[in-house]
Amino acid sequence: MNDNELDRLMNSWDVPPTRRSLRDGLMRQFPRAERLGFIRPLRWALVIILASAALAVVTMAVGEAAQNSDSYADSPIVRFLNHVYENFLQGREARRVEGIVAKIKQSDPKVYVDRLLMAPLEYGPAKTMNVLVPQEGLYSISLYRYTRLRTAGGRSTGWVEAGHIHGNEIEFQAGSKQVRIECSQPIVDGDRPVFVMRRR
Amino acid sequence: MGKTSKKLIRDARRGQEKAFLRLFDEHHLPLFRFAWRLSGSIADAEDIVQECFLALLNPNCGFDPARTALRTYLFGVVRNQWLKRLRRREQRESAESRNCGTPETEAYRGEAAEAVASAIADLPDTQREILLLAHYEQLSLVEIAEITQLEITAVKSRLQRARATLRETLAAYAPRIERVI
Repeated sequence: MNDNELDRLMNSWDVPPTRRSLRDGLMRQFPRAERLGFIRPLRWALVIILASAALAVVTMAVGEAAQNSDSYADSPIVRFLNHVYENFLQGREARRVEGIVAKIKQSDPKVYVDRLLMAPLEYGPAKTMNVLVPQEGLYSISLYRYTRLRTAGGRSTGWVEAGHIHGNEIEFQAGSKQVRIECSQPIVDGDRPVFVMRRR
Repeated sequence: MGKTSKKLIRDARRGQEKAFLRLFDEHHLPLFRFAWRLSGSIADAEDIVQECFLALLNPNCGFDPARTALRTYLFGVVRNQWLKRLRRREQRESAESRNCGTPETEAYRGEAAEAVASAIADLPDTQREILLLAHYEQLSLVEIAEITQLEITAVKSRLQRARATLRETLAAYAPRIERVI
């Protein structure tokens, strides 16, 4: 039997087609990033609308400022522009936090309270995470930098900056306890603040 | 590895389903073929391929795009997963599963295919994986050497030995190749 004949004979050994279950089974195990509801499909439309609105407003503001330079800084148009800019920054921050939380989920986070291994991390709404701290209560963790600015009826909602996230570790103070969450891989570049709120 | 694959892996690790599916669509067929020919079982091949893609999501998986092509890395993972499974099974159990195969697997084998599958299954594991990668997946000797962590000369000699054994085992089919294929 020559090489060519052997090759032809070997080629008679076919492979069965792959089944749908291969893809479905894999996707069932895939750790998806949580979706931001209906906003996500519309995000580009939203960006275009905001950019157009901002451009129109800037054009108007420049014209108005030229006519009345004294009231420029306090004008409703400038305040509106600031508002739009802040919303943009907050949106960008929300996407960053979404990415960090997805990384945490994939890196087998271990929770230590005063160096003792605790129950696994739980994930709450709006990219928050929950940790049960013995004798101190349930603490929610947020990595969203604007958390401290959230207010309800002029009063703070209780989020306080209590620690930081660096490399593969999240550390914060929960009452008298030191909480450390250790991930199997680096989850941020540099350092970020961590905000916590005691739930009960 | 192109920039696209790098970006797809990064996005998949961030939880983006579309990126993960694209990686799967681009690479799963050759991996499934290799896993199925190694294991002889559709269920085992599916498990191995799934584990292979899930491993890619772990940033500590050992994949370095600067050193290895994604395709080569993935074949290596399939091989390692298969070896792991092989070690877990008892030798007898393994031989039985190879000889019998599942009904769904048998349905795809004709007379000649059955003889080829059986002859390849009887090769030593170290020759079999090299033959499968070289003949069925058309990988170069360099790529196979990288996957099996052998010298190129060793890969070449094992491939030659495997083909010589097959030529001998399947000699009975030589006169009727035109008819059976």
